Amino acid sequence: MRTSERGRRTSSAVAIYVIILVALQVFLITVAVEAFQTDDELLGWATAAVSVVLAAAAAAFLRYLRP
Amino acid sequence: MSERSRPVWERDFPYEALAEEEVTRREFTRYLVLGAAAMAGANVGLAAWTQLRNINTGAPRAIVALDDVAVGDTYLFRYPDDNDPAVLLRVGDAEVAAFSQKCTHLGCVVYYEPDEDRWHCPCHEGNFEALTGAVISGPPPRPLGRIDVEIRDGQIWALGSHP
Repeated sequence: MRTSERGRRTSSAVAIYVIILVALQVFLITVAVEAFQTDDELLGWATAAVSVVLAAAAAAFLRYLRP
Repeated sequence: MSERSRPVWERDFPYEALAEEEVTRREFTRYLVLGAAAMAGANVGLAAWTQLRNINTGAPRAIVALDDVAVGDTYLFRYPDDNDPAVLLRVGDAEVAAFSQKCTHLGCVVYYEPDEDRWHCPCHEGNFEALTGAVISGPPPRPLGRIDVEIRDGQIWALGSHP
């Protein structure tokens, strides 16, 4: 029972972390569109790099969820 | 928990609540990660598009004779092509400034307010500096698109635009 409770809390925590990362991704999309409109290539690539790192972090969090 | 102590509905419809919750949560999180990956892909695509696209900044061409525009007056023209309204302001005897007429908020047409010495967008009260096009107030997120202009042999020339 204790283990199940711990697993449930862990999966909740992972879900919350991933939701936060996805919210950041939505923000980064708006930054990328802004960079596109102003033709700011440097900002566009910096945004893309951060976005890829965040996506990788979100994928890494999946490891902590029990199958 | 013994069979007798379980509620009738749970005996009739047995299910593992905790296990179902975990599976659902995992699937939900997996979809979120897929969404995050898709957004990362979109960001990379946008960056590549920003890098590779070819923006028409316009070819140099004469706009109007300098003498046809009085000091403090404006002249409307189209640049870099016929779908792009632009406006020129004669600041002094030999000084002119030109900008895209599209407000950077939602694309309404801006006009010059001589009393305030600024560009004004009437749609949402956006204001821009007359000489630089920088945002003074209102919702516009960035300056007006600038057009490089030059006076050659009494003619005002547009040399290129910066969106």
